[in-house]
Amino acid sequence: MSGCGAVVGGVSLDNVDISTQAVIQGVITSGDAPASVGYARLLDRNGEFVAEVPISKQGEFRFFTVAGDWTVVALIPGANSRTQVKAILGKVLDVDISLS
Amino acid sequence: MSNQALVDAEWALSHLDDAKVVFIEVDEDTEAYAANHIKNAIALNWKTDLQDPIRRDFVNKEQFEALLSAKGVSNDDTVVLYGGNNNWFAAYAFWYFKLYGHGDVRLLDGGRKKWELDGRELVSDVPSRAATKYVAKDQDRSIRAFREDVLKAIGTQNLVDVRSPDEYAGRLLAPAHLPQEAARIGGHIPTAANIPWSKAANEDGSFKSIDELKALYEGAGVDLNKDTIAYCRIGERSAHSWFVLHELLGVKNVSNYDGSWTEYGSLVGVPVAVGDEPGTA
Repeated sequence: MSGCGAVVGGVSLDNVDISTQAVIQGVITSGDAPASVGYARLLDRNGEFVAEVPISKQGEFRFFTVAGDWTVVALIPGANSRTQVKAILGKVLDVDISLS
Repeated sequence: MSNQALVDAEWALSHLDDAKVVFIEVDEDTEAYAANHIKNAIALNWKTDLQDPIRRDFVNKEQFEALLSAKGVSNDDTVVLYGGNNNWFAAYAFWYFKLYGHGDVRLLDGGRKKWELDGRELVSDVPSRAATKYVAKDQDRSIRAFREDVLKAIGTQNLVDVRSPDEYAGRLLAPAHLPQEAARIGGHIPTAANIPWSKAANEDGSFKSIDELKALYEGAGVDLNKDTIAYCRIGERSAHSWFVLHELLGVKNVSNYDGSWTEYGSLVGVPVAVGDEPGTA
């Protein structure tokens, strides 16, 4: 049985069949550098929570979804933002988020 | 929020060096704990410490006693649990400690996320605690539901599916931080209401106010005078909702179905509903 734990930075794409996924990934930066502490949260088209991962030391995050409209919430100490994205099945969508 | 079962950061800070208060970080893997953790906290691994290594079940009473004895936890210690994933696994461990009858167990509001976002201190030193002789009680079955209980509850008692709306409807097979590759079917147990766990939490992972939590369940049309069974995918998000209902709102006739959708969605011959509506019995 696999758990539901979120992997820091998101699960690796290695050994994942991308054709069945709509992947949303990216990097959260603070100022000119990647944020090292924080979280990326995914909301559905109605603003409901879907998933959340702690970002990696390089500010990275990754989600696996189905095609559609999603919102990525970036949360770091003292700042946050929301970015709307459109995911496509079989594609990896890169979303870079800059917070000051 | 004032509640015996829930402590805030200020309470935690004033008890970090209290030998009778044991802070325990609970995660699915202990990579986060290994990097840093709250001062004097020890770690429990949700999978390797709390799950049977062969069968899909908990460790038994004797194994739980051996685990806590080796970790240096005494029966009269105050156990304060916290962790990542918005306290999912810490809430699961809270329910687990209650299941085996630990006297004083609490949850740190907001868990590791709020602690980090508030910029509070995390350390890498691992404390050593002398071994104890921990004695557990028999499992309290009143707070744990099995599939037979769930099947009997369809159309008669409350079933609360706490997964995201897309998982409930069958559009997603797992939380979106995991690949969508599960082999089992999607959907939910017929007549289950969808009250996502996340509606009980603020963005920083802390719990919403008691009034907001009451309004959440009342607004969803759940009659809390009936027995209630909460479930999710593997029982940890529903442990979070169980904590809200049982510990924060004081609803006693609520149990957690830890088999959850991973079990139910693989059963042969049981009814399943798909889409956004609860469906019929």
